Amino acid sequence: MADQSRFGEEAMVYADSLYAYALRMTRNPPDAEDLLQETFLKGFRSYASFTEGTNLRAWLFRIMTNSYINLYRTRQRRPDEIGVDDIERLALFRELGSPSAEDSALEHFTDIEVKMALESLPEQNRNAVLLADVEGFSYKEIAEITEVPIGTVMSRLSRGRAALERALADFVKHRVENGASA
Amino acid sequence: MSSDPAPSVNPFEFNACEETIHEIYHFLDGELTEEKRRVIETHLSQCQPCDSVKRFEVELRQVVADRCREEVPKDLRERIARLINHELDNASSADGAGPRREGNASAH
Repeated sequence: MADQSRFGEEAMVYADSLYAYALRMTRNPPDAEDLLQETFLKGFRSYASFTEGTNLRAWLFRIMTNSYINLYRTRQRRPDEIGVDDIERLALFRELGSPSAEDSALEHFTDIEVKMALESLPEQNRNAVLLADVEGFSYKEIAEITEVPIGTVMSRLSRGRAALERALADFVKHRVENGASA
Repeated sequence: MSSDPAPSVNPFEFNACEETIHEIYHFLDGELTEEKRRVIETHLSQCQPCDSVKRFEVELRQVVADRCREEVPKDLRERIARLINHELDNASSADGAGPRREGNASAH
């Protein structure tokens, strides 16, 4: 049984990455602040049920994911998952060609473009991509955090990554069009 | 839905590039069996186009992760720390350990 008096110190280490996850999910700072606060309070209150030595970071991300669903899911009207498997893969790679190591077209993406592209993804796909590619969680950890089977994690990730490349490729297209007309 | 072309699977015409691109995420995620990982790795070392996809995807992930870094605002961090301390005080007084603060600990 974990000692509650140590919760603040142990959990605060993950505050920045939890806050980033909250911002991408809620898409606005006030809601992200509320969500972070809620996650810490819930975490504190249920810390007795946390087994010390197990994965505190994944445990906190699970609390945040659930809190997000409880607090904000009902507001969401967009489809929450990409349902088909035939979306084009590697769209950005195709758009940018295969750059040589010295010519990195990816470095031109701004923070805002990457955040907008991520935030444009359907919720379930976006969360899987955030947990894997931003936070570096394994499939098993993501399955536990989002409470779905590993197979579901894999398909959400694969579709989410394809859609992310599509969204980023669209920025490149617009950039090229604007540049060409100038 | 177009009818599935259902290509005849001939084990002697195993398409290594197709297989590699199909498994590229699992490969990068470190989620392949050791045997499969080796097959993909060997192919990547011998196939420049597939390797360029791999390098592109590796860099894309790095760029995405880098662009998404955030820092908790100082006042929010302090507010959360205060909330937790407050909860802790309430918890310890509920335990009968007595309030650790003077202030608004209600004595009834």
